[in-house]
Amino acid sequence: MNALRHSFRLLLALGAPLALGAPMALGALLGAPAAMAEEHAPASATAPATPPAAPAAASHHAAPACSEPKPACAMTVNPAFDSKGALWVAFAVGKTVYVASSTDGGKSFSAPATIATIADGVIDSHGDARPKIVPLADGALLASYTTRPDKQMIGTIFTARSTDGGKSFSAPQALLNEGGQRFETFVVTPKGRIYAGWLDKTNMLKAKAEGKEFEGSGVAFGWSDDHGQTFQGKKILLDHACECCRMSSALDKDGQPVFVWRQVFEGNIRDHYAAKLSADGATLTGGRVSDDNWAINSCPHHGPGMTIDANGVWHVVWFTKGKNRQGLFYAQSRDGGKSFSNPEKFGDDAKAPGHPVAIATKGRLYRVWKEFDGTTTSIASQTSRDGGKSWSAPRVIAETADASDHPELVANKNAAYLSWVTHKEGYRLIPLPRDDKSASVK
Amino acid sequence: MSGFRSMLMTALACACLAAGPAAALDFKPYGRGDFAKIVKAHAGRPLIIHFWSVTCPPCIVELPQWAKLLDAQKGVDIVFVNTDGDEDRPRADARAEKAGLGKAAHYGFADDFVEKLYFEADKGWRGELPFTALVAPDGAVTTVTGAVDDPLVVKWLAKTAGK
Repeated sequence: MNALRHSFRLLLALGAPLALGAPMALGALLGAPAAMAEEHAPASATAPATPPAAPAAASHHAAPACSEPKPACAMTVNPAFDSKGALWVAFAVGKTVYVASSTDGGKSFSAPATIATIADGVIDSHGDARPKIVPLADGALLASYTTRPDKQMIGTIFTARSTDGGKSFSAPQALLNEGGQRFETFVVTPKGRIYAGWLDKTNMLKAKAEGKEFEGSGVAFGWSDDHGQTFQGKKILLDHACECCRMSSALDKDGQPVFVWRQVFEGNIRDHYAAKLSADGATLTGGRVSDDNWAINSCPHHGPGMTIDANGVWHVVWFTKGKNRQGLFYAQSRDGGKSFSNPEKFGDDAKAPGHPVAIATKGRLYRVWKEFDGTTTSIASQTSRDGGKSWSAPRVIAETADASDHPELVANKNAAYLSWVTHKEGYRLIPLPRDDKSASVK
Repeated sequence: MSGFRSMLMTALACACLAAGPAAALDFKPYGRGDFAKIVKAHAGRPLIIHFWSVTCPPCIVELPQWAKLLDAQKGVDIVFVNTDGDEDRPRADARAEKAGLGKAAHYGFADDFVEKLYFEADKGWRGELPFTALVAPDGAVTTVTGAVDDPLVVKWLAKTAGK
């Protein structure tokens, strides 16, 4: 609580206009007064007239690997196993969101069910943003996706449900009808309550309307007790999260959800914050993950990963270019986020490591990330069998020589898998090695 | 049949209208090898290659600053690279126009192998934006993550552009 209170104080301090570097120096160069006081692009303002999409023949973008409604043709794929062991994936191809399932480890998929096709705008399906699928204990499926219709940076999160085994989905419903939301994440408790977390621009829009400065997005939560039909208690609990990085979530030992995101601390420092949501969805308890001190007025597009093991230890992996440390790091909290261990570096700095994720399965902890050597993109993996104290030597478990998604991890019973879609190889579900011995020396 | 033909004609007409006015800006395709090509094309002159995205609020905020810089620094070539995909290009077009960058040189990512595109500009770049490569007349590259008013940019301009 103290840490959270302290954080709130920091955030209150953020209410003052932020200095943006050294505008006067540039102003002098420009021979004009500094104009850096210009406000953030007013997301609430009427969007500029959006020219119609260029005809396909004029398209500059590289041709996608394929344009069929299947995971291999998607830029991003979100996986999840249901209670019967079937793999479900959510993905977008073009302007349509699909869900499909596989019972042979991702080698083949069922005919996809269409969740929605949007008439204009964009479906968030690149990088940190992607459609999601959440299999529920009663066999129902909850799918979600975000659209960015016409207005700058204003997203709308939609959810849809299937109660016929994924053959069809209900008409998508907006999670909220005003403000702007992106980067949703879901956690299902053992009792079947679905908690949702997302980044929410509503307070930013209000501040802009009042002519006030506002950094980043709010962090908002809600929950569903009717299998995702409706979400209650939707509320922003904290402001000033970094607006362009995903949130991650996990279920704590006591059945409550924990979230981690990149927060904007005083001085435009974009470090990470992890917190547990109370059962009533009203309060957050947690703390700052590390003091990387990445003071930067930029969008990292690089959110953290999190998992919680059977002992209730929070494990967080992240990327930073901070003053105090740069690269990929791992830390754990054994006291519910009040304190975190000293960040431990991993990944090969010579290979631009990025996009780390972590997952805990019975007796094993894995961290996986992406590296690029100028030619080949690799997914490297490390295993810990002692709760993160020591890790096996990094092992490359997949490679590609063209475009690829960020790595995703998914568990089924006691086994963990890498879920990865690449332009050349298509969709792959790769078992993570259970036999790697943790390194005796880090 | 004629009804169908009529519908088809209407659909085609709609498609033409939809495709109608071409994007105001000419976003040249930016793919593998293009960083080096752009540097080569501007060899001997100070060059700034600025990468930005419509999903990056700090990028949008500072676009008008780049327009002012473009006007003020006549001795410096400035090239803009939008890192969004085609689907976001109309938005990028509108943002750039609104910021006063309608007459600038624009490129747009035309390759989903973004790791390669990042790597070619800077081996340590992981895609954070805005990102700027400052290329001296002799080809020496300095990269900056963050705002245009970064002291490194200011210093580089003062030194390279002789201001």
